[in-house]
Amino acid sequence: MTHSNRNFVLAYLMLVALPVLGLVGVLRSGRNLTAPISLGGQWKIQMDAGKLAALPCGKLLTTSQDPGFAISQSGKNFTVNVGNSLTPSSGEIDGTAVMARIMPSTGSAKDAGCGGEHVLSLTATVDPKANPRSLEGTLSVNDCPACVPVEFHAVRVDQVKSKGGH
Amino acid sequence: MLNMFTLVLQIAVVLAVCRLVGTLFLKIHQPRVVGEMFAGIMLGPSLLGLIAPQVSAFVFPPSSLGFLNALSQIGVIVFMFLVGLGINPKELKSQGHAAVLTSHVSITAPFVLASFLAIYLYPRLSDDSVPFMSFALFMGAAMSIKAFPVLARILTERDMLQSRLGTVAIACAAVDDVTGWCILAYIVLLIRSANTGNPIWLTVGGLIAFALIMIYGVQRLLRRFESIYHERSALSDNALALMLLLALVSALCTEWLGIHLLFGSFLMGAIMPKEQKFVRYVLDRFEPIVVTLLLPLFFAFTGLRTNIALVRGREMWMYCGVIILVATTGKLGGSMLASWWTGMPAREAAGLGTLMNTRGLMELVILNIGLDIKVISPALFSMMVLMALTTTFMTSPALEVICPDKMVRAGMEAATREELAVGQLGLNPAGD
Repeated sequence: MTHSNRNFVLAYLMLVALPVLGLVGVLRSGRNLTAPISLGGQWKIQMDAGKLAALPCGKLLTTSQDPGFAISQSGKNFTVNVGNSLTPSSGEIDGTAVMARIMPSTGSAKDAGCGGEHVLSLTATVDPKANPRSLEGTLSVNDCPACVPVEFHAVRVDQVKSKGGH
Repeated sequence: MLNMFTLVLQIAVVLAVCRLVGTLFLKIHQPRVVGEMFAGIMLGPSLLGLIAPQVSAFVFPPSSLGFLNALSQIGVIVFMFLVGLGINPKELKSQGHAAVLTSHVSITAPFVLASFLAIYLYPRLSDDSVPFMSFALFMGAAMSIKAFPVLARILTERDMLQSRLGTVAIACAAVDDVTGWCILAYIVLLIRSANTGNPIWLTVGGLIAFALIMIYGVQRLLRRFESIYHERSALSDNALALMLLLALVSALCTEWLGIHLLFGSFLMGAIMPKEQKFVRYVLDRFEPIVVTLLLPLFFAFTGLRTNIALVRGREMWMYCGVIILVATTGKLGGSMLASWWTGMPAREAAGLGTLMNTRGLMELVILNIGLDIKVISPALFSMMVLMALTTTFMTSPALEVICPDKMVRAGMEAATREELAVGQLGLNPAGD
């Protein structure tokens, strides 16, 4: 074997074969890693329409023909889209707990009688074992001690992430 | 329902903005395609949607994007056929050890570094619907791919195609692309079979059979195109239409087999005859419509899916910075180290590393596949798009600093003088 060939074989072992072994190790060790619970997709929501309408801004949800929301997730952060009357809002996942603040869009807020600083807060717990995945939680309004939080149940109907800009 | 007014308006806006930004980028010594990639981002929620949401909603209503996507995907299918047509892995053989090692290291180094990075990013930017293995392999493939067409354009514009640096870079890029797409095919296969429940061996068996038929059967028939071209110095419209039809049928086969349309069109291009004049002729026939009309639509569609606002907060920007750093270290550093080890001068090796770090359009194609099969999240998609733009944008200025024109020309003149001397003395340049 010439010097140049020996050099090539040595370089190949050091720079190609060894890293490939490292890759195998990484793929093996990574199996134990856990990522946040998946929430991305379309969700269908069920709740008491009467109680919801009584909430400031609640009408924005009851006017929708197809009550539901779409979640676009990136790790523990997500963006929730609830129809045209509400601004896409951000939320966070912490274990099985889900929190999001949903704001009405400027135009629709006045129509629904929820002007001012009102923001809908979504707090829920995800059931990781349920198939399809489900959420149990409450919708409440900040700065409104008199308002009674509305309980809801949501089921993921389609695990498709947003394809347009969100 | 298809709204022709909206679709034509979208195409007009995309064409106008891409041509304008592309021309501006030419003025700052960047390839036009880099400007067009930036134009796509500008038309999306990252800029137009942010500063003029009503205009954005009027021109690009979400319900209309399916048609824009369909057109752009047709463009990418034909583009991948042209990429396959343009590459010739046999060139690697003529480049010797340096190119073989550099090519393989330029794949393994970013791949391994990306998989290490995946350990850090998986719990932060993914979710439990994506297995770690798929995530890590996808990150590896996405970081090790390189933009063969952009590289070829940079080398042509700088008159470096015939230089040693240029020929080694082109040979390495060809191998990188073939390897990268094979790895990606495997990942798509893994994910799709997990989702559909189809046994993986069935798909793998089908794919191997398909590839064998293409390489040992169809490839022989394709030589007829080359011989017709040599007889008549041209191909008829029917022959060109048949070529496109074959690319589409091949794309349909790979989609049906469970991977992706793009692999089929790429494979059809890769097994086409590789005689230089024939390849140039076919590229000249198809490239204008693909490059000027259809690819800008793909850039716009990618831009509409890229939302830089998702990269919010110091933490997310740090992830983005780390992704760019790892991608550059792996590709630039790996290629540079390998070529230097095999005897290339350090400066030239750095130039080769810089060229290999160009990701461009191919990266965007891969990232869109990743987002479609849901192996990456929208925020990670946006970060990776930023990485692709940064690494592609930095190539030309970095190359100007590392390998200025003077140096490349001097190297080429020295090589020519050496060749002449060898010819006059009747020496064997290989030394054997």
